[in-house]
Amino acid sequence: MSMNSTSAQFVTSGRMGAYEPIHQMSMWGETFKSNGNLSAPAPIIVEEDVKLNDQSEDTSNGILGPSERYYQEVTTKPADKVQRRLAQNREAARKSRLRKKAYVQQLETSRLKLIQLEQELERARKQGLYVGGGGLDANPLGVSGTANSGIAAFEMEYGHWVEEQNRLICELRTALHAHISDVELRMLVDSGMSHYFDLFRMKATAAKADVFYVMSGMWKTSAERFFLWIGGFRPSELLKVLYDTNIIIDVLGPHLEPLTDQQLLDVYNLRQSCQQAEDALSQGMEKLQQTLAETVAAGQLGEGSYIPQMGTAMEKLEALVSFLNQADHLRQETLQQMSRILTTRQAARGLLAMGEYFQRLWALSSLWATRPREPA
Amino acid sequence: MQHAIPYRTWVPGWTAGEPRPPANVSGEEPIAGAGAVRAMVLENAVVVFGRRGCCMCHVLKRLLLGHGVNPPVFQVDEDGEAAVAEELSKVNTSNHVKKGGGIDINGNESSNKVQFPVVFVGGKVFGGLERVMATHISGELVPILKEAGALWL
Repeated sequence: MSMNSTSAQFVTSGRMGAYEPIHQMSMWGETFKSNGNLSAPAPIIVEEDVKLNDQSEDTSNGILGPSERYYQEVTTKPADKVQRRLAQNREAARKSRLRKKAYVQQLETSRLKLIQLEQELERARKQGLYVGGGGLDANPLGVSGTANSGIAAFEMEYGHWVEEQNRLICELRTALHAHISDVELRMLVDSGMSHYFDLFRMKATAAKADVFYVMSGMWKTSAERFFLWIGGFRPSELLKVLYDTNIIIDVLGPHLEPLTDQQLLDVYNLRQSCQQAEDALSQGMEKLQQTLAETVAAGQLGEGSYIPQMGTAMEKLEALVSFLNQADHLRQETLQQMSRILTTRQAARGLLAMGEYFQRLWALSSLWATRPREPA
Repeated sequence: MQHAIPYRTWVPGWTAGEPRPPANVSGEEPIAGAGAVRAMVLENAVVVFGRRGCCMCHVLKRLLLGHGVNPPVFQVDEDGEAAVAEELSKVNTSNHVKKGGGIDINGNESSNKVQFPVVFVGGKVFGGLERVMATHISGELVPILKEAGALWL
């Protein structure tokens, strides 16, 4: 008989629910042991004793199962007292079940939260954020609580995304040093590109949950946030990195493949177009800031009432989601155009360079966060 | 040589018997009335329609200006929005042979429903900011603009 299993959580409360007879008897015994009333080893004897001392007992201890009812008939207890006792037991049992249900639900929720926090911690450590300090200061679980399961989900997904990204970069690096076919390399390039597109999709979904969160780049490392532009990297900056360091100059690699004149022209044009598109979006954002400021400031400032302004301002904020989507769209189009201009091998090198560039930013963030500081 | 007619002073074919724009024009840009929409689309190589105060229209305009195109940008009032959208959709339909079909913003066959902001090039619907951005990056935009007579180079 498992004396401890079912009653474990109820020992402290001192109450018992009416379960199957076996459990009743085991918990009965437990209660008596903890109460120190009787130390009778055989449960049946204990029950019999309790029935005799019925009036002095707490009603919750009066568990009557089929075996006890038999004894009831034998003894001379009045029927209505028995009925009342039965009803009280049922009530107590019902309440116990409800409490247990609530408790279990609480446990489940806490467990989920714990898993989420652990994953976030893992990811943060991987990226080198100073855990326990300022790195997680915008923990969405802490700040907004249950208001944003969308953001919590995004954080988890992004953690996985980073892991997958590291894996893809490794694979690319290995593939470029080995002698794999162009077909296989093309598949890797496509995977790499798709991975970025996955991120843009994730961001679009998260933006619907909380556009400010995505725009602020709180989910990125600190060094990345320094370069932030409309919730992500600046496509023109990235092109500049590739152009200056890798595609053009990397002639020392095992596969000598400099860009053709046409390719050079196309890359130049892409840099120009990208810059123009960025400027256009930036100017649009400035206009949005301006109109939002005007909307918020409209009417008499200082009177203390501002409900109408809030309504209009809320409408303006919807535009933020559009801007984020358009910026990500620009990032995607730029990547795709780059992939059209370059050969498979060049594109693979480009993706590797890009991936490693971000890894270096992550490392930089980590180094910075853990640098030795002067004692206060 | 640039086709640069400042949109503020340029008046579409109002004088050709088309209804005048509504009197409640408070901003600098003319408000598009449903009746005049068709004329605007047909008389301009490139024209942009957007909601009043739309910041994306600003982005569109900047992008096109970068190519040397200065299109009129017509702002649509909330009240007139449905009517203008309807009218624009009709313009869209009349340019396509297929009945009931048409090319929507994303280049897909679908209903002719127009979403703001929308750009018309060469009298036909071209798309929203997304399509303009995509063709801008891929390099397809300039030939399209040239073909529509918006650019002379």
